[in-house]
Amino acid sequence: MLLSLNWLKDYLSKQDIKINAKDLAEKLTMRGLAVERISSGTRGLDNVVVGTIEKIEKHPNADRLQVTQVRVSNEPHAEVLQIVCGAKNIAEGDIVPVALVGAVLPGDLKIKKSKIRGVESSGMLCSGRELEISEDSDGILKLPKHSTIGQPLARLLGSDDVLLEFDLTANRGDCLSVLGLAREICPVLKTRLRDPKPPRFKNSNHRTSAIVKVEVEDKDVCPRYVARVIDTLKVTESPDWIKQRLKTVGIRPINNIVDITNFVMLEYGQPLHAFDLRRIESGGIKIGRCDKTMEFELLNGERVLLEPGDILIKDGDRPIALAGIMGGANTQIENDSTSILLESACFDATQIRKTAKRLNLHTDSSKRFERGIDIEGVNRASERAAALLRDSFEANVYHPPTDTNPEPAKPRSFAVDMRDIRRITGLYNLSPEKATDLLDSIGIPTHKRSTNIFIVKPPSFRNDLEKSIDIVEEVARLIGYDTIPERYPFSTAPFDTYHDPIYEFERRARTLLAQLGLRETIQYSFTSEATLIKYGAHSDSLIKLQNPISEEFKVMRPSLLPSLLETYLYNKNRRSEGQRLFEVARAYEKDESNSETNAKETLWAAGLLSGNTLQESWRKNGEKIDFYYGKGLVDILVRQLSTVYLAYENSRDSKLLHPHRSASLKLGLNTVGYVGEVHPYIREQVLETHDSVVLFELNLDALRKYERKGVHFKTPSRFPAVDIDIAIVCDKSLTSQALIEAIKSDGSDLLESARVFDIYEGENIPMGKRASRSTFPSFPRIVLWKNMRLRNCVTRLSKDLKASTPRNSAPSLNLHTTQRFQRAAP
Amino acid sequence: MIDDIQRIRDEARNKLSSVDDLTELDRLRVQYLGKKGVVTAALKQLKDLTPEQRKEIGAVVNETRDDLESRFEMKRLDIKRSDLEKELSRTEPLDVTLPGQYAVPAGSQHPVHRVIDEMVGILRKVGFSIATGPEIETEYYNFEALNTPESHPARDVQDTFYVQSPILLRSHTSPVQVRTMKAIDPPVQIISFGRVYRADYDHTHTPMFHQMEGLLVDEDVSLADLKGVMHYLIRELFGKRAIRFRPSFFPFTEPSAEVDMQWNDGWLEIGGCGMVHPNVLEAAGYNPDRYMGFAFGMGIERIAMLKYGIDDLRSLFENDYRMLEQF
Repeated sequence: MLLSLNWLKDYLSKQDIKINAKDLAEKLTMRGLAVERISSGTRGLDNVVVGTIEKIEKHPNADRLQVTQVRVSNEPHAEVLQIVCGAKNIAEGDIVPVALVGAVLPGDLKIKKSKIRGVESSGMLCSGRELEISEDSDGILKLPKHSTIGQPLARLLGSDDVLLEFDLTANRGDCLSVLGLAREICPVLKTRLRDPKPPRFKNSNHRTSAIVKVEVEDKDVCPRYVARVIDTLKVTESPDWIKQRLKTVGIRPINNIVDITNFVMLEYGQPLHAFDLRRIESGGIKIGRCDKTMEFELLNGERVLLEPGDILIKDGDRPIALAGIMGGANTQIENDSTSILLESACFDATQIRKTAKRLNLHTDSSKRFERGIDIEGVNRASERAAALLRDSFEANVYHPPTDTNPEPAKPRSFAVDMRDIRRITGLYNLSPEKATDLLDSIGIPTHKRSTNIFIVKPPSFRNDLEKSIDIVEEVARLIGYDTIPERYPFSTAPFDTYHDPIYEFERRARTLLAQLGLRETIQYSFTSEATLIKYGAHSDSLIKLQNPISEEFKVMRPSLLPSLLETYLYNKNRRSEGQRLFEVARAYEKDESNSETNAKETLWAAGLLSGNTLQESWRKNGEKIDFYYGKGLVDILVRQLSTVYLAYENSRDSKLLHPHRSASLKLGLNTVGYVGEVHPYIREQVLETHDSVVLFELNLDALRKYERKGVHFKTPSRFPAVDIDIAIVCDKSLTSQALIEAIKSDGSDLLESARVFDIYEGENIPMGKRASRSTFPSFPRIVLWKNMRLRNCVTRLSKDLKASTPRNSAPSLNLHTTQRFQRAAP
Repeated sequence: MIDDIQRIRDEARNKLSSVDDLTELDRLRVQYLGKKGVVTAALKQLKDLTPEQRKEIGAVVNETRDDLESRFEMKRLDIKRSDLEKELSRTEPLDVTLPGQYAVPAGSQHPVHRVIDEMVGILRKVGFSIATGPEIETEYYNFEALNTPESHPARDVQDTFYVQSPILLRSHTSPVQVRTMKAIDPPVQIISFGRVYRADYDHTHTPMFHQMEGLLVDEDVSLADLKGVMHYLIRELFGKRAIRFRPSFFPFTEPSAEVDMQWNDGWLEIGGCGMVHPNVLEAAGYNPDRYMGFAFGMGIERIAMLKYGIDDLRSLFENDYRMLEQF
């Protein structure tokens, strides 16, 4: 909403009041009417001042240009601007409009300091056309000789209006009018509202009802309709003062009828519409909902598809206006129109909003109906427009009009308790008198019922005031939020009454992954079907959006990996090598067992590793990252986050991962994650890289059930450990996990750990077999164990796992102990 | 005899001070402390003395021997060290300006999560618990229970992503407040945060962004408390600075306010807040005559952009490595 301060003054009791626009804007903003911008009333004249040409010289490098020295200030020592000019009609001593550096002329021409053919120029001398103040474009506009040098051109032209641009909240439809804003502004400027006097009409010989019947089919969609016939009209230009007002706020004048309906809408906030009476054929109009889909041509020439539910004004069965939004082409005012039917009405806000939204047709009219208009003001606006047409153009106004609801029900009055105002605002000393005075200052009447209770009668223009809390807000905003003290709350809520510790778990995962050298990303929760197909992640259980902003953001992602790969590609194309990325976020899938949303959201930690194990450096570059590197990372993650043991199994369920170089992570029978090298097909065809790329994902919701909480300390042995190396020849298909488990099952409580520390395949080992050596550090008592159990262990290994000790190694095992520790054995 | 021993000691000390190589040191050592050395000889003479003399003189001899032994050892280390220093001075120093090497490269957390973690820390400290809820929500929790009837402009289908009415992607984190209030009795003091979705995409809007919200419902809560908490939060996040409350409108709070903070020479909008609307309390099953509360909400991205000087919102979700590496 644009407010012209000159227009505003028409409704203030002190009309010659001086208004400091900046101060007013600040105060209104702090009262909840946010002013977004203050601008000069004559658009494009900001930073355009009156200057005098002191000197003119030829441009050294261009015949058609001149270099001028222009004074733009009356101060004796003020800077003289050098401005290059192409016009021929200037002479030394001329008074001309000068656009200073920083001015933005109509047509969005920004004035900057520049060099024109090698000569510096700080501004521009303007023609009348460039400033859009006259059509004359033959050279620079000459201003009167007596003009004050340095003053803004707008002031010289007498158009020193200032515009406030409001960004109003949805509840304040009443402020979408000059009068509505004036009502709020009066107490700020300490003046009173000068409501325009209602015009008087003599009863006419004919009534509107005799010419046009008005029938409201559905009172809910149109609670009030005022129709008035005006004839003996001539379509012509509006009076200058109306054109000026409209132009100031950016509305192009068209003709007297259209201009006056626009003018009254801006003045009262009540949209009006004029039908050409000649073209209402059935002798009456009907207001009701559209009952079938049909096409309709609007007065702007656009054809729209009406749908059942839209509110229509109909002439017989023929729609003639899309109520509250725009009239139809079939009844629009033409240059030869002489009689009109003037509509002023109140329509259902919800339906208007729905229709306007569907058709993407947001008009000045729909904007006001959507926020609700003053039902009591419907006839007043009609009278105002009629009076303007009568007084300026001697039109004949039919009186009284047809009014379907001359006395609409008053808004319900309600009680407000001062104690509520006090306890909600924290202003414990606020008196009832102060509160009611504030309300009265913006036209909200009250009367006292008891010491602490008063009754509020909300005026019809404030249809946002429905209950006590609305009044609390009015009082708070009028007294000013800045008067409310600051207090630190003391809540009696017991600490962590409803605390979901998932955040701490998630944060641990994030922190760990960052510590392990990965960069955290945040990817969109939605992706495209094409992306999912590309990475083999498409499935039937995808959740799709009905109204995505594009195909790219259509499906809720079922896994974090495809977006990580997309990020990898994005960065690879920007030559980032050796990426280590992760994300901790939810993935989504359909879940019929969730009756509320049919969706399941699972928290995952996922990551991508690429390049070499070491960062590229001047010394050595490490090896290519592979499955085991990724597994090492996942191991740390799982161990730090949980107390659970996850088994690794070869897995072929993922189309994204290499069939042989990947594993699924099993928690019992459930798969809770994957780790592995990306499938060679995807690496070659999609990622187009020779780089090695490893992916992992881990279901944090599953892992969280076994969250590692704190530390369970185990006293370490007083004795240093003893390492025993065993060399074993076994079948290639025997997993190291099976080998270790076999050793552990025979290891007794002395065995601390066992691991494979080397693998050998090749010479001296039969085909399909491989040798591995295990080592297990343990207590010194290993010596006893050695004698009794180790042989058993090896025997068991050879029996159960068909493993053997190599021919060329010592009889059965390789045992390392030292004397010192034997001495300590029991 | 004591005089003799002291003389020997002084003489040995004197000679020792001018020794500067190991051979010479060894020769001297043999001369004094060797089997046939002067001090050893003196020790041997002790047996010819009376018990009293032996006790007195023995102590002096032993002391002298210990003293000389430790001086010889110290001298030996001195010579070793200076020999090594001489050797080192002949070698080249490292180029200490070459890049360092450490097996684990630096990782980092996303700026949005850095801000979330910081805000959680600030608000947990003053008693807020964390509440969570689904991102795929229903109209009831996202709108109806938050006093946003169908006629409200915020209900526009174009602003909210729908899976299939009434299932939608939450357009703010407020549904978590409703779910929490329905789950527990007042008083309640929670924050909720995370991803939210709105159908808007340009240089100041992304279809997904993050919010942090707070809710405190109790018997005696006022706008004054809300001001206190907002000022505390902003001060902790951005350092000491002025804030102001500007009246505004949200369907779920009344009175409502926008919070501005001082930024350079002007004011900058940083969040919305207000007193929980009685209709919201009622929908959650709380008695609005007895309980009151405040709620506030902030966009995480905006805070991250201000804190780190990021000027394009969209860059937060591009995950450009050159951007990630800066955190």
